[in-house]
Amino acid sequence: MSENFKPVTLNFGPQHPAAHGVLRLLVQLEGEVVNKAEPHIGLLHRGTEKLIEQKTYTQAIPYFDRLDYVSPMCQEHAFALAVENLLNIEAPKRAQYIRVMFAEVTRILNHLLNIPAFAMDIGAATPMLWAFEEREKMLEFHEAVSGARFHAAYFRPGGVHQDLPENLLEKMKKYFTNFPKFIDTLEELLTENRIFKQRSVDIGILKKDDAIRLSCSGPVLRASGVAWDLRKSQPYDVYEDLDFDIPVGKTGDTYDRYLVRMEEMRESVKIILQCIENIPEGPVMVENNKITPPKRSEMKNSMEAIIHHFKLFTEGYRVPEGITYKSVEAPKGEFGVVLVSDGSSKPYRCKLRAPGFVHLQALHFLSKGHQLADVPSILGSLDIVFGEVDR
Amino acid sequence: MSPNILQKYSVGNFHFPIKSGIDNILVNKDSVLEVTQKIKEDEDLLYDQLIDITVTDNMLSKSSYSNERFTLIYSFLSLKFNKRLFIFTNISEDNLDINSITQIFESADWFERECYDLFGINFVNHPNLQRIMNDYNFQGHPLRKDFPLTGYEEVRYDENLKKVVYEPVTLKQEFRDFDNESPWEGMKETIKEELEKK
Repeated sequence: MSENFKPVTLNFGPQHPAAHGVLRLLVQLEGEVVNKAEPHIGLLHRGTEKLIEQKTYTQAIPYFDRLDYVSPMCQEHAFALAVENLLNIEAPKRAQYIRVMFAEVTRILNHLLNIPAFAMDIGAATPMLWAFEEREKMLEFHEAVSGARFHAAYFRPGGVHQDLPENLLEKMKKYFTNFPKFIDTLEELLTENRIFKQRSVDIGILKKDDAIRLSCSGPVLRASGVAWDLRKSQPYDVYEDLDFDIPVGKTGDTYDRYLVRMEEMRESVKIILQCIENIPEGPVMVENNKITPPKRSEMKNSMEAIIHHFKLFTEGYRVPEGITYKSVEAPKGEFGVVLVSDGSSKPYRCKLRAPGFVHLQALHFLSKGHQLADVPSILGSLDIVFGEVDR
Repeated sequence: MSPNILQKYSVGNFHFPIKSGIDNILVNKDSVLEVTQKIKEDEDLLYDQLIDITVTDNMLSKSSYSNERFTLIYSFLSLKFNKRLFIFTNISEDNLDINSITQIFESADWFERECYDLFGINFVNHPNLQRIMNDYNFQGHPLRKDFPLTGYEEVRYDENLKKVVYEPVTLKQEFRDFDNESPWEGMKETIKEELEKK
């Protein structure tokens, strides 16, 4: 490089379509080569952790939908598990099956947003349109169980809010038996696509050691060749009883991360179909009046039910003092909740461990030495959503 | 598991129920750097991933697990042995300095910046200790228990001045913080004491 050529600092974002939200990225360029990429985050910081400290445990649930707003139910799952752990209760089997089933629906929803968005960043527009049609169909299942397409607040400590509506399982079975065909058509568009491969193969390589060193988790870690999945290694709910495989990548480039996500969707379909097959009858919430709100019909006849209802929606339930850490394999990686209770009805401290926060930190390492045009490709393959990064 | 190494640095147990069955030690804040180095390298431990660094502000806690103002919680994961570890350390309000572990675990960078931003813990030898969540010119540390939920300043775009202005927070009605906790169950201890006196 000639001596009179000064490095340029480029302000990428905060409003940029390829930044997947409000990311301000300071890129130091030498010609077209990235010297340094420094993410500035926090533009979507809403103080979720502070707000949760002021709310009862039930009121805290909706905040989890709003973290990673692309995969809401998985995060409720982590919180529900943490509170259950402190309360020393376990959700009934049927509720556990429902939770696993919908966590997997959420995983497919998440990957169906990430993959086409990533493809769009590097020039393919069609997958986005196709995937959104399927997403809309799946969101109908979300709506059927919880009444909301995204902000479900469906997984509660002790189970799920309400039982599945009639015929939903048949509808889901019909839909998900056919779903692998859609994955095939999506793969036809992308996997062997010459432009797609030129923009993603050997871009942003993350070797095994680096992935571990940078605390990566989820598909990013697996694409680098580490067979690590919390659903297998530290199973929660009914994952133990289900049969599924963990796709693992080889080189750890952006293309591998795409392939791993594609394969994960197929595994999720397997899990959902198994859940539909094996789901038992029974209650969907622990039968403990001090934790579970009473049914409307009960409240018409029972004074005690009214008292319980009033107490649960004003004071809330008290959680015995202690610290716990519960994590789930969210679609983006390990999502964990450090929950500290001092024995009152509000969480004393609730730290949210977001996978995107750690992955975004690795962006500088991944994009150094690449061209500027590869930065959106790397960013897309890391699957960043600012709701959870900024909290 | 080699408990010897963990015991060597342990300065007593953390008197608080840790529910999820995770191994944990309480260490002196000066030995954090040494312990993290050891647990990463020791062949029987191999905690190779830093999962999280977080802080609790013990100012208003009803439980007496710590006499100091802040407790730092480091969370590690060993991919080989499939085990997790918590390292607790207490930090007093008078001296908020603690050694940064970024030279051992690179990913500690942002976690430590977050603890600095939200709690004001000062990580010594951190390469870039700046605010991460809050605005560049923000004052105070919002996750401390003495920081009000509504904050001190609000931001808006002023159409006349054509710029962003910072103003003190004005609440249209008083901040409502209802105490809904039933006094009766909380009084158990007091009632018990009264009865014992009689």
